[in-house]
Amino acid sequence: MTLIILGLGSSALAQTYNTFEPSKTQFMLRGYGHTGFEYLDTGGEQESTFLGATFAPIFLYKHSDKLMFEAELEFELEGNELKTGLEYADVMYVLNKHMTVRAGKFLLPFGTFMERLHPAWINRLPSRPLGFGHDGIAPASDIGVELRGAFDLGGPKMNYAVYVTNGPRIKDGSEEPEEAGMLDFGYYEDVNLAKALGGRIGLLPLSDSSMEWGISAYTTNSTGAEDSDYKDVGAFLWALDLSYVKSITPLQGVVDIKAQYNSSNVDTATYYEIEDGISEPYSFDNQSSSFYTQLSYRPIMSGSDFIKQLEFVGRYSDFNAPEGAEWEEKSTQYAFGLNYWLSWRSVVKLSYQTTKMEGGHDSDGTTRTNGLFVHWAIGF
Amino acid sequence: MKTTTNFKAAIILSVMASIMVACSSNKKPIATDTATEVAGSEVDFKIEKSGAQLWGEVCNRCHIAPSPADYNDTDWETISLHMRVRANLTEEEITKIETFLKSAN
Repeated sequence: MTLIILGLGSSALAQTYNTFEPSKTQFMLRGYGHTGFEYLDTGGEQESTFLGATFAPIFLYKHSDKLMFEAELEFELEGNELKTGLEYADVMYVLNKHMTVRAGKFLLPFGTFMERLHPAWINRLPSRPLGFGHDGIAPASDIGVELRGAFDLGGPKMNYAVYVTNGPRIKDGSEEPEEAGMLDFGYYEDVNLAKALGGRIGLLPLSDSSMEWGISAYTTNSTGAEDSDYKDVGAFLWALDLSYVKSITPLQGVVDIKAQYNSSNVDTATYYEIEDGISEPYSFDNQSSSFYTQLSYRPIMSGSDFIKQLEFVGRYSDFNAPEGAEWEEKSTQYAFGLNYWLSWRSVVKLSYQTTKMEGGHDSDGTTRTNGLFVHWAIGF
Repeated sequence: MKTTTNFKAAIILSVMASIMVACSSNKKPIATDTATEVAGSEVDFKIEKSGAQLWGEVCNRCHIAPSPADYNDTDWETISLHMRVRANLTEEEITKIETFLKSAN
């Protein structure tokens, strides 16, 4: 009898143990969040505020060794409103060792900042460079299909990505006259039959992969609705990006350089502004550009446990919107930061940023904004 | 504006220089140890990097390299597939990094 009980017990134990074996399909919740404090002085007008926490959960569902679904949600407090967003949601399949196909809403490989570097726990400064984000000229995400992959060239490496997506919508000024001629990359519904084509080629010329150069292009023949006057307004954008990350013994630390130049060329079109109740046509050469370069240094070889967790950051960025547009703007920004890394995925950032903006649809003159930021970001 | 123009000129020139270096370089990571050479053969032996070395080189390109102990083997398999596509890594790179992370956690 005792043997029977022991036998049944061991069988039950074995079954219980088996339930902890890894399953073929795996689900994982990752993501990041951040919060902070900001003090801004805009032309003598001051404001300060604690920022509501931003929460960005990432859902990873690994169906097999080749098939995966990934999605990222965004929850952010803007004033009293909870803003939600779907950063990306796509399914991917590894076709072979050099090619993966993705379909759905995905981050666009236009340069590297929006695809790889913008999450708060990766971005070394609390803010984004000029030209990215709201009213930026660099596309961040879209709905479509993409092929991507990488090759080992016997030391150097190369990676590529090509995609076709719904493409942007041009703002015709009917809803926001001050933004007429601006491309709206956040409008995901396809307004015409044309699609946007894009891609990026990255080259890592050094065998230690410390340096990567990338060139990106993005084009579409139509940005207006099928039945609108802007149907034939096309756009061509291109970008150059650089990354250099190297542990340098004489400097006792890691040097990290990032840079990206974006150029946007939209076909010239006629827009309308209302002056004294009369609709006046106008047009402009619709070309924009932006640039940023960032240098950071982490003294990881320091003998002090405190100092090796520090990081010093500096960034320059500029943004030039078309002359003659209602949103004409020339801005330059300098940002300096001191970070303390609590772990490889949690950082407290202290930074000072000064921005000089000429024009812009909020002002006709020159505006200088100085800001002090303290942010705490964590990846999980 | 002059500063901006200089920045842009610098980045374009650097691209050209980088491509020229990449195209003209005949350097390959060849084993110099004569013990590894095959007598009478011109076959080059590529030094295979370890997973630990690739973990240090590849992950740090965007973010600080993760601690292997922070996830279990199953999680690293999921994260590796995700990062292979997100960062556009080669199959060899991600396979070796995943193996290292699973061995060191």
